[in-house]
Amino acid sequence: MIAREMFEKFKQRFGPLIERADLPSDRRLFVFVDRSVVKYVCQHIFRELDARYVITIGADDRPFSGKFLVAHNFAFDKDHLLCSVLTQLPADDPKIDSITDMVPAASWAEREMRDLVGIEPVGHRYLKRLVLPDGWPENNHPLRKDVPWNEVPVEFDPDREFRFDEPPEGCTVVPFGPFHPTLDEPAHFRLYVEGEMVRGCEYRGFMVHRGIEKLAESVMSYNDIPMLAERICGICGCVHNVAYVQAVEEAAVLKPPPRAEYIRTIMLELERLHSHLLWVGLACHIVGFDTLFMQSFRIREPIMWIAEKISGNRKTYALCVIGGVRWNITPEVKIELRQTLDKLETEWRAVVSAVSKDRNIQKRTWGVGVADKDLVKESGLIGPVARAAGVDIDCRRDHPYAAYDRVEFDVITEQGGDVWSRLLVRMKEVFESIRIIRQCLDKMEVGPLQLEIKDELPIGRMGLSSVEAPRGESHHFVITGENNRPRRWRVRAPTYQNLQAVPRMIKDQQIADMTISLGSIDPCFSCTDRLETIDLRSGVTKVWSQEELLKLTRAKKV
Amino acid sequence: MSLLSKLEETLVCLKAGKVTLPYPAQAQPLPEKFRGRPIFDATKCIGCAGCANNCPAREILVFDVCQEVRILQYLGRRCTYCGRCADVCPEKAITMSQEFENGTNAIGDLGQRLELFMSTCQRCGRCFKGPSVLEDLKMKGYRSDDLQNERWIFRSRAFLEEEKTVDDIQIELD
Repeated sequence: MIAREMFEKFKQRFGPLIERADLPSDRRLFVFVDRSVVKYVCQHIFRELDARYVITIGADDRPFSGKFLVAHNFAFDKDHLLCSVLTQLPADDPKIDSITDMVPAASWAEREMRDLVGIEPVGHRYLKRLVLPDGWPENNHPLRKDVPWNEVPVEFDPDREFRFDEPPEGCTVVPFGPFHPTLDEPAHFRLYVEGEMVRGCEYRGFMVHRGIEKLAESVMSYNDIPMLAERICGICGCVHNVAYVQAVEEAAVLKPPPRAEYIRTIMLELERLHSHLLWVGLACHIVGFDTLFMQSFRIREPIMWIAEKISGNRKTYALCVIGGVRWNITPEVKIELRQTLDKLETEWRAVVSAVSKDRNIQKRTWGVGVADKDLVKESGLIGPVARAAGVDIDCRRDHPYAAYDRVEFDVITEQGGDVWSRLLVRMKEVFESIRIIRQCLDKMEVGPLQLEIKDELPIGRMGLSSVEAPRGESHHFVITGENNRPRRWRVRAPTYQNLQAVPRMIKDQQIADMTISLGSIDPCFSCTDRLETIDLRSGVTKVWSQEELLKLTRAKKV
Repeated sequence: MSLLSKLEETLVCLKAGKVTLPYPAQAQPLPEKFRGRPIFDATKCIGCAGCANNCPAREILVFDVCQEVRILQYLGRRCTYCGRCADVCPEKAITMSQEFENGTNAIGDLGQRLELFMSTCQRCGRCFKGPSVLEDLKMKGYRSDDLQNERWIFRSRAFLEEEKTVDDIQIELD
């Protein structure tokens, strides 16, 4: 009923300016509004109805409806509702009012929409390029349907450099990244430092942009994309795999068999286990405590082995196809999985008991990188970062998918909002994951693994799917399409929102705390940088030109 | 307080003992379901091209050089070993092997090339798979110089051209 109630509220307030609505189920609401009110609708939803901002999606719908499409997605976590506010824009005038003033979290998404689809967010105060390489021509927008997936525009200039903003007065610039010992993936932070204190920073990322969404929309087919989606992230790949498949299933109204849902749940939790253990290890490594780093990785290893036994690979499980899963959990594996979990639980309990009293770690993490409730709301932070600030959100409970509605677990929260609280949240979540897997193993029904799909998937339907990744909510939006592939597939990885808050988290802190503050959101840059085809080399080539560097590297090649 | 936690941490380490495995001197056994390099079996393959249609990385190419010979080329360059080809193969001609130590300087080492002799329907000219075991036999492993089987072979008027029929298969393998 909640979807209908919410829709009635909109209707009362905005009346005829709401063009139409779609309520496919009680947990989803699609509202089409006129572009003159989109700003006010979003303000109403975000401020008065207190929804959480999820993502903004721009799509080129010209070949089908002759128009551009913009969707602002919001989540009502307490009401278990995902809501999408859609607007159609005329093909000759792709402009929409920016909502960033009301919803600060939308800043990046709007900049990305401008880069990739060429929809202008009118009124956005900081329209610097975000995603595309610096040398990319202004009028070429790769996600438009008339741009081929492998096109490199003739005007592309690989030598053009990124223009950084002027640092504030009295500050020194300290570059952090793209390559830094504590960054596992490339991203560049230009820190403005006054003495030892960080006063601000500028971010330039999207250096490992791989054009995944474009590839999916133009070359691959429904059942190929799960294997591609999984490669969005090296650590939480299965999350993207499941999220994509669920979004398509929702759009096409398919329900996978119960056993498949349990297996998805088990694999997602196995992934959370190994990811949390890895993160605790890495966090300790960043603060210089390598003993625990080694022990975390040792304890994590059996999880990798059991995953390999179930799926045939340590990390990329290649688990889902539309309508089911590919791997079964046999009785033998079940027994072994239980043993692995028992061992993990005892070993992890010992580690948690030791670490939670360790003064050295506490001193490095207490009061560091604070994200309070206010920042969580404004920037749309999610996952352990939000939960460590006392914001009680978890997609597994709020927007249940797979078999999460059939298991019991607690959502762990802490009040501190600092790195220490995030450490505690992640350490305790390990025990919840173990609990979930045990319940799944008990309840798992015998039955088929895949749904038999006899008809072609319907065209032009929309599906949303939120899956709780180890780092936070991973949100997928799909519009189904022709030729056995989606028209639009948009991935919002958790780091996309969390990373936007890093400049505020590190402000007025010591520069030495930068690494652990950044590390504490468990950043995953390749998740964030999903699209496009050309990697960015500017900024590295001050002394050597790119060509010289290339020559140098090629000369050394045997 | 902190001293106690340090002692607990020491205990965790001591309990663990030595866990490093002597790889590669001694390899751990792999699980049965391990997905390694796919191996294509030319004797089982019927050239239906299902694997090529389902390969997410587009690493399997199928093309006809003439009426009776179909080439199935597996490139193996950006193959992710997802195992979809083995899933969809109706003849179980593809197996995911246990090979994972596939580092090489010549990328062509990983490729596989299958030359498949195809039967053609005399009415429509398309390749087909026979419905019965007997007809199946006729499609597997015959050679055109096998005189005993001569009567089964359809001599087509197609001939090998200088240039291959499909031109996007000029693959550069360095």
